[in-house]
Amino acid sequence: MNSIGEACNDLKKEYDDCFNSWFSDHFLRGRTNDSLCAPLFKVYQDCVKKAMKQQNIDFEEVKKDLLETPHEKKPQGKS
Amino acid sequence: MKIWTFEHTFNHPWETVATAAWRKYPNPHNPAVIGTDVVERKVVNGVLHTQRLVSSIWYFPKWAQAIIGSAKVCYAAEHSEVNLSTRQMILKTINLTFCRHIAVNETLKYVPHPADPNKTLLKQEAVVTVQGVPLTNYMEDILTNKISTNASKGRQAMEWVINKINEEVQDITRSTDEIFTQTKKSLDDLTSSAKKSMDDISQKAKKSFDDIQQFKMNNNFSEC
Repeated sequence: MNSIGEACNDLKKEYDDCFNSWFSDHFLRGRTNDSLCAPLFKVYQDCVKKAMKQQNIDFEEVKKDLLETPHEKKPQGKS
Repeated sequence: MKIWTFEHTFNHPWETVATAAWRKYPNPHNPAVIGTDVVERKVVNGVLHTQRLVSSIWYFPKWAQAIIGSAKVCYAAEHSEVNLSTRQMILKTINLTFCRHIAVNETLKYVPHPADPNKTLLKQEAVVTVQGVPLTNYMEDILTNKISTNASKGRQAMEWVINKINEEVQDITRSTDEIFTQTKKSLDDLTSSAKKSMDDISQKAKKSFDDIQQFKMNNNFSEC
């Protein structure tokens, strides 16, 4: 599976492979310490965040519950 | 607002389904999903929290493009929690693109089947809200139908991924078997050569002993 940043694809693949084996070999066996893939995650993260910025994707917006809150953008004109 | 719900049982244990859920994409059933990126991930009190950005290509009819815009690549935010102690995996997705008029909130919940712990129950729910555009109801119907079709593709995709993982496990088992056979063979070889050496040694020892005896006997004779 690709990353939104083409430059991040290799980093993502490396991290995903690490995560998948951590998930089945550690997490599902009750060992929840996630430091195993942390170094790979950090490098991949830096790359993705940069790519998101370049493509104007604002992930922070989603964390707010948009609809039915004051953050909701009201439709213009009569609805 | 339209709410769509569905339940499906996977004939696989929860651990297998949860593992497959992380590896769901890419698959031949959902070619529209072109990318996934982990934006945030941490373990809090034994619960794995993940925020992912899911990129997909949506195709809208021409008339809808006038309202929504001809969005080609759409982005969705997925927040998931995997709780090992309760054996629950919950994924909530909300679209990021065209947030202004359309909100699609989707929830997937994977839990062990209450009647059979070797099976997994998927509870799926989608809430579609279209606001501020003409034909709201009609638009919501179109989107809900689309979600329903995509959901069945999603389940096929999960089966496909599980099958793929099982094949990989079989490959590992096969190579483990090979290692085991090889090790057993080497051990057998070692044992047989050790046995052979031991035989040689004992034979030689016996021979030496016999020789000594013989020698002693000869000496005794000579002494006599």
